[in-house]
Amino acid sequence: MATACKSLEALRKQLNGEVPPGLRELEPEHLEHLADAVHEARRRQGQALAQAGEQAFSHVPRLLRGPIRRIIR
Amino acid sequence: MSRAAQILQRRAEILKLARILERDPDELAYLEAVSLDALQALREQTTEVLWSANGATLSRLAAASKLLPSALTATIAQRAFGPLLVARMTGLLEPSRAVEIATKLPTGFLADVAVELDPRRASSVLELIAPEQVEAVTRELVRRREHVTMGRFVGHLGDAALKAALGVMDNETLLQVGFVLEDKARLERLISLLPKARLTGIILAAAPANLWLEALDLLGHLSVPRQNEIVAGTLELGPTAREDMVAAVVEHELWEEVVVIAQRDPTLQGKLAQRLSALPARQRKALTRRLQADGGIERLGVLGQALA
Repeated sequence: MATACKSLEALRKQLNGEVPPGLRELEPEHLEHLADAVHEARRRQGQALAQAGEQAFSHVPRLLRGPIRRIIR
Repeated sequence: MSRAAQILQRRAEILKLARILERDPDELAYLEAVSLDALQALREQTTEVLWSANGATLSRLAAASKLLPSALTATIAQRAFGPLLVARMTGLLEPSRAVEIATKLPTGFLADVAVELDPRRASSVLELIAPEQVEAVTRELVRRREHVTMGRFVGHLGDAALKAALGVMDNETLLQVGFVLEDKARLERLISLLPKARLTGIILAAAPANLWLEALDLLGHLSVPRQNEIVAGTLELGPTAREDMVAAVVEHELWEEVVVIAQRDPTLQGKLAQRLSALPARQRKALTRRLQADGGIERLGVLGQALA
């Protein structure tokens, strides 16, 4: 029971809100799997964005790099 | 909705969620027991979380891109950002600017973006994309059998673009896309844009690919005049195709769904009533109970009589 509550709370946290009612009956390991999957997707997205931002600058003409950095930061 | 249709709809929903989470759908197989409503709610929440995460950074990048010529932005989109981040950024760009950049991107890349895009967050962009480009991207999505992606987009296209997209979708694809369409109320409009000559072909396409579940689901969401136009195609079906349809009805318990065709086709009605009477007593009783609970027996007509 305590594990189920903990897993539900982990998913609630990742979803930034209440878990849809039909999902609350899932096994704790499945709730945890979902919570991990959402967490991982967020992490990967942030990482990809940071890498892409840096890579993008290599394509930008030098003259424009300063003004663009000012907008982004 | 029949149980078989519910299972397939849930699988389509799981596939959409797996896409967002970048997971193999098989990993999420435990969700097959969850109701369709709960799965849709989960996907909505997950989409919201991922789209709002890094939102500030994405908005600043979108703003900065205004300083660059659209051709250079397109190059950066392809070489640095990739389809996932471009999909996240699309709705943050000025729609006319997004469309201009899209004209400079290759069709394959746009198809990749389409897979990742949430059409609701980019509908103002989608409405402005030229029908020719929609046609090219749809052709690529058809080739990749991306039915779920196409099903998410259909509701966000204008009539001209939708006509162009339908023009490159074969009837088999059309059935698969219609089945996973986000908003089934759009099916009537979608079918109304097809040339009349193509309507009877929809039923004929169900036969070789065994897409009876999809075909009957489509019919169930259309107005009576539209059903009449499509069902006319069943008269052209050969005996084998008819037997296959009957077998699909028995296998997936599509008794209610098939009434649309059966009530216009006495031969089929007889065949179905025969199969219904031949069902094992236990199965027939279970079906009767379920249909009585739904108030469905009356709607089954002659089939209902066979069941009673």
